[in-house]
This record gives sequence, structure tokens and C-alpha cells, in this order.
Amino acid sequence: MKLRRSMLFLPGANAAMLSTAFVYKADSIMFDLEDAVSLREKDAARLLVYHALQNPAYADIETVVRINPLNTPFGLLDLEAAVRAGVDIVRLPKTDTPDDVRELETQVERIERECGREVGSTKLMAAIESASGVINALAIATASKRMVGIALAGFDYVMDMQTERGDGTELFYARCAVLHAARMAGIDAFDVVYSDVNNEEGFLKEVDLIRRLGFNGKSLINPRQIELLHNAYAPTEEDVDYAQRVIAAAEKAEREGLGVIALNGKMIDAPIVNHARRVLQKAEASGVRQ
Amino acid sequence: MKIVKEALAGTLESSDLLVKVAPVTEERLEIVIESEVMRQFGAQIRKVVEETLAKLGVSAGQIVVEDKGALDCAIRARIQAAVLRGADQQQIEWSKLS
Amino acid sequence: MVAAAQPWGVPVSDELEFYTIDPRESPAEAAEVRLLLSQCDLDMEAGIEIFVLGRVGRALVACAGLEHNIVKCVATAPEYRGESLSLKLMSEIIHLAQERGHHHLFLYTHPKNVSFFEGCGFYELAEVPGYVSLMENTPVGIKGYCRRLGAQRQLGLKIGCIVMNANPFTLGHQYLVRLAASQCDWLHLFVVREDVSLFSYRDRFALVQRGVADIPRLTLHHGSEYMVSRATFPDYFFKEKGMVGECCTAIDLQLFRNYIAPALGVTHRFVGTEPFCATTRKYNDDMKYWLQNAPSDAAPIAVVEVPRTQCAGVPISASEVRRLMRSGNVGHIAELVPRDTLELLNGKYTFAQPAEAGGVGA
Repeated sequence: MKLRRSMLFLPGANAAMLSTAFVYKADSIMFDLEDAVSLREKDAARLLVYHALQNPAYADIETVVRINPLNTPFGLLDLEAAVRAGVDIVRLPKTDTPDDVRELETQVERIERECGREVGSTKLMAAIESASGVINALAIATASKRMVGIALAGFDYVMDMQTERGDGTELFYARCAVLHAARMAGIDAFDVVYSDVNNEEGFLKEVDLIRRLGFNGKSLINPRQIELLHNAYAPTEEDVDYAQRVIAAAEKAEREGLGVIALNGKMIDAPIVNHARRVLQKAEASGVRQ
Repeated sequence: MKIVKEALAGTLESSDLLVKVAPVTEERLEIVIESEVMRQFGAQIRKVVEETLAKLGVSAGQIVVEDKGALDCAIRARIQAAVLRGADQQQIEWSKLS
Repeated sequence: MVAAAQPWGVPVSDELEFYTIDPRESPAEAAEVRLLLSQCDLDMEAGIEIFVLGRVGRALVACAGLEHNIVKCVATAPEYRGESLSLKLMSEIIHLAQERGHHHLFLYTHPKNVSFFEGCGFYELAEVPGYVSLMENTPVGIKGYCRRLGAQRQLGLKIGCIVMNANPFTLGHQYLVRLAASQCDWLHLFVVREDVSLFSYRDRFALVQRGVADIPRLTLHHGSEYMVSRATFPDYFFKEKGMVGECCTAIDLQLFRNYIAPALGVTHRFVGTEPFCATTRKYNDDMKYWLQNAPSDAAPIAVVEVPRTQCAGVPISASEVRRLMRSGNVGHIAELVPRDTLELLNGKYTFAQPAEAGGVGA
């Protein structure tokens, strides 16, 4: 069970950021070859990311590459670079249909075979940025066994919906739809980026909302947001205390070969145990909420 | 790979490097490296540059590197980008880039 | 582009964004540029074809212009000044120049800024202390050029050199070359390469080549960006307009004395006296100072001014030929130019053309 609360965007063309970003404690680091890279620098960014991925400093960090859509002149070359360099996850932007994912999977598998990488070892993520993507969210989320998450991308989505970013009302349906699709598919769900990096209060408010909705985490555009996010996702002391007792009870039941787990006279079922595990995992990753 | 036109890649920003390549009339490789960390890392930078060029099969051309303290992985990427641009090469042979 | 679609790059640099304008087509933005330049004690220079502008939000914080392969008007707003903005700006202008086909760049700046531009991959070529420095964006530019020139070095005690535009090649040029060659152990002859004259470089070079073919102990060279070029001889780049001509010639002549002459072992430079063209006359006067008298690590070069040969009492000059062409006086031209030049004039260049742009008359 990989913890994915924070996914930090790095512009693929920026050598300095690529050379230092491993110091940030994001759960995943996403090298962007799409919107953050100008047309002039597409080729050079691809090579920077290709070599950064192979830098030993990134060996212990989950790496993601956002490629350009496959129907652009850059998409397939980006994919070649990412898969060959050993990226953990490929993030496909502007995913409208499950066919987009299936096409990606076909190409990934071909590249894996060509470069001698274990077939199936490259995981996939889809970003949903349109009404069509939202409506197809479940089909997209279940389009490939390689899928580990779906993300909502707000900027294109609100334009497609003929509205604009505001207090979150405009994303309400999309967030819920993406989240339900992810849960049904058993994969992670990521919320949109919060672009006003100087507005800490606004960021925390949005994080609180999406955490309560049930999102696993959020795409981030600035390293300053990582710790704020992790803290907001950290369990309280009471949560940790209760989770520890749940796990202790589960372990006890396991040891004694009991079919039923009980805590304080109440029966505890599997979802509660799983939830407790997640709470302890987050606590271990970044302590209790401050 | 043959450098057929002048090209550049990279920037002058810290932790990056600017690489300029140009074709030459004589069949020889002229590598000029300028670096803020020449004293400590000059030899290492030259080694990475030469290895990267050798893998690409570049045996002639003028290669000017303005290094701003870049990591080896950035040096490889910028050299390759400049050479691919200067060679007017669209087809990438990944085995030559690793 | 909106921040949400351009993650991190935007917010980290506080939304710094670069784009280009043609100052002739964007008068409102050109006015903003002029204001930024004036804050940095710089003038908007004529001839800039394109600007890179950097904005933070609405504020113009950085600009750099390009005229051909010369970087001009580099400025950053005082309140945003820092290595990172300047280096980004210079990276942008270098890439922009490359896109426009200019790999080899020159830059004029005040000597106090030389060390900054050295950090941007520029190298100083020549300096007029307290006024101006010329830099180029390669550590091997002039060095490589001199190495190639050095391969054509000839033995001898008296090695002469002439740099001519030959626009077009006249009997006067021929006389000067013949006389100089007769006085030297070897003569190096350069034809100005910059294509801003009435006659194309190709034609000018071909005429010189034919016109000096029978003169012994002579090497004919192609000109270069390092002599009497747009880069070494700009129209003006200065606030004190009085200094303009002075500094222009000083840079060009220093390059000759410090690099080109030593590479070829040149001891004497020959020029024709200039009766008509003020620019050329001034160039000749400055030549005596910068090549012979100015303090320098490089050996002095004797300047030999050769009185012009005359035709019916009037000194022969290329500018006179062009004047006759404009007035359609074909018959008289035949007395001033070799037959090859005349044939070219009759065949290719129609008479009575409008005045040509710039260029050195000689």
C-alpha cells in the first residue's frame, strides 16, 4: 500500500529543479513534459528527464512522468524516454476515453519488450480534464491493470464546462465522480493543483475539503505545499491511539486463531482494520497532525 | 552522428549548462569547456562530455560548454540535445543515449 | 498561459514570463522598453529587430535586443536585479538569436559590465577604457580565426596589409595594391565581407581577385566579422554622440593590431588617401593613432597612406564611380575601373540606382 498524498510537479526543462528536487519529501515526484515545457524545449526536456530518472538520487522516490498526449508529435517520444529510463508511473494528460488508456498500454508494453524491461512494471495514471473524461471516469479507471490512479485537472475541465475556478462548487460533480471511479477500481484519486502558492489559508481550506471527500492526495506545484499537505493528512493523536488498539486487537485475534476481532466488546471488521493501517502509515510518514 | 549545423541547448542558469555545437571543416573534435567549478570538476566534466559524444558517434565538430555547476546527468542531457539538434536528427537511438 | 497550466515554473519565479516583440510594430511596448533602458542609463538603439521582454505580472522587468548578430540594450529593472533574472534573460536572447540563424554573437557594453557578461559565456575582444567593450559569445572565436590566419603567414621583414571594401574595384585600388606589394616582402589583402554595400560581397571579391591576379607575393583573404564588420564597426552605441566614431574605429583597429596583425606578422598597413568620404578619412586618421601610437601590448604597425592615383586630375575612388553610376554617366566610368569591373557594371548592375546603404567607401 503506497502512500500517495503529495505529487510534486517539476517542469521538465528546468535542470536546476531536476537536479535538486529529490531533497523534497514528496510521496511522488512528477516530471512534467507537457504544459510546463515550451515547444522549443520539448526535445531537451525529454532528455533531461530521461537522465534525471536514472540518477541514483531518485532511486528511492516514486517517479511519475507526465507525457504529452499521444496524438501530438511529442507523446510517443516522451513515453519511450520515460519507460526506458525506468519511470514508475506514466501520467497521461487529457484522458477522455478508456481507449486513450488502452492505446497507452499497448505502446508501454511494446517499449518494455523492446528495452528488456519487465512487462507490466510500468504503472499508469490518467488525468481527467474534460466532461467526457469525468463521465467516462470509471471506464478509464478500470481500462488497464496497470492503472494506479486517476487525477482531476481543473484548468482544462472548467473551460470545457464553460465555467471558471472559484470556491470549488464548479468542481463538485467532477471530484465526486472521479473519486467514486477510483474507489470502485481500487486505485488512488488525486485532486487538482492549487496554483496560488502564496495563499496558504486557501490551500489548507481546499486540502481539508478534498481530504474529507476522500481523495488520496493532491498534485502540488510548489515544494512549500508538501509539508502543509502532509500535516493536514496526518491523523490526530486520538486517531493514532484508536488505530493502534484496533491493530493490536487484530493481531491478537490472528495469534489466537479467532475468526472475529473484538475491541471493547464491539466487533471490528476488515474495513476498519484497513483504515487503521492507513492511519498508522500516515502517522509513521509524518507524525500526528500539528 | 555528424554535426551539420550550428545548434545550442541548455541555459546559463545555476546547475545547468549551455552547450554550443558547430560543424568544422577539419575532421576533428574541438571541445572547449568553461566552468565555474573548473578547478575541482574540470576533469570530470570533460570525461562526461567526451563519453557522451563518443556514444553518439560524434567525431568532428566544435563543442563549447559553459557549465554552471551542473550534475553529470544534466551534462549528458544537454550535450545530447545540442548534438541531436545540430545533427538535424529526428530519429532517436536510445541505446546511444543511456 | 495561466499558472494552473504551467505548474511550478510560474509561481517559483514569481510568474516571470518571457516573450518577444518587434519594437517597430509595438510602439506602446517599445515605449516601456525605453523607460526601462533609461532607468539603466541606456538609450534605445536604432536598428534593433527584435526584443526579448521579461514581465512579472504586468511589470516589465527585463529586456534584451538583437540587431542581426549583435546583442544590444540588455537591461533588468533595479528592483528585480539578481543573477537569476539576468541569466534567464541572456539564455533567452541567445536561444532567440540561434532561432534567427545567429550562432556567433557580439555584444557591446560598458567595461564595468564585462565580468557579468563573462558569466553569460561572452568573452572580451577589445576595450576602449571607460567607454566600451566588445565581447563575443565564444571562447574560441577570434583565437580560432587567428589560428586559421596564422596558417597563411609568410616569411619576411616587411609584411603589408590592406583591407578594402572595393565597392566596386577601381584602377585606384589596383594601383594601391600594386604599389604596396612592390614595397613589401609579402602583402595580405582583405576584402570587407559585410554585405551592406551596393555591390555584393561575392562580386566585390571576384573583381578584386581578377584585378590582382598578376601581382606577385600577395595573398587575397576573405574578410571576416573581426574587421570592418557590422560588429566591429557599428554606427553608434553611445550616449555621448561625440564619442561615437572614435570608439567605433578604436574597437576595429584594436582587433587588427592585437589579433589579426600578429597572426599574420603584419608590420605595415596601407591605405589610400581619402579625398571624398568623411567616414573613411576619419578611419584613416584613427588608424595612425590606434595602430602606431596608442599604448598596447601588441607591436605597433606602421600606417602608410598612399596618395591616390588620379584620372584627369581627379583622384580615383569607388564613391566617385557610384556617383557616376547614379547620374548615368557610363562613358566616364570606363576611365576609372578595370575592364572586369566595367563588364560587371554593364551586365548586372543597372545604372541610376538609389543611394546604397552605409558601408565604407574605400
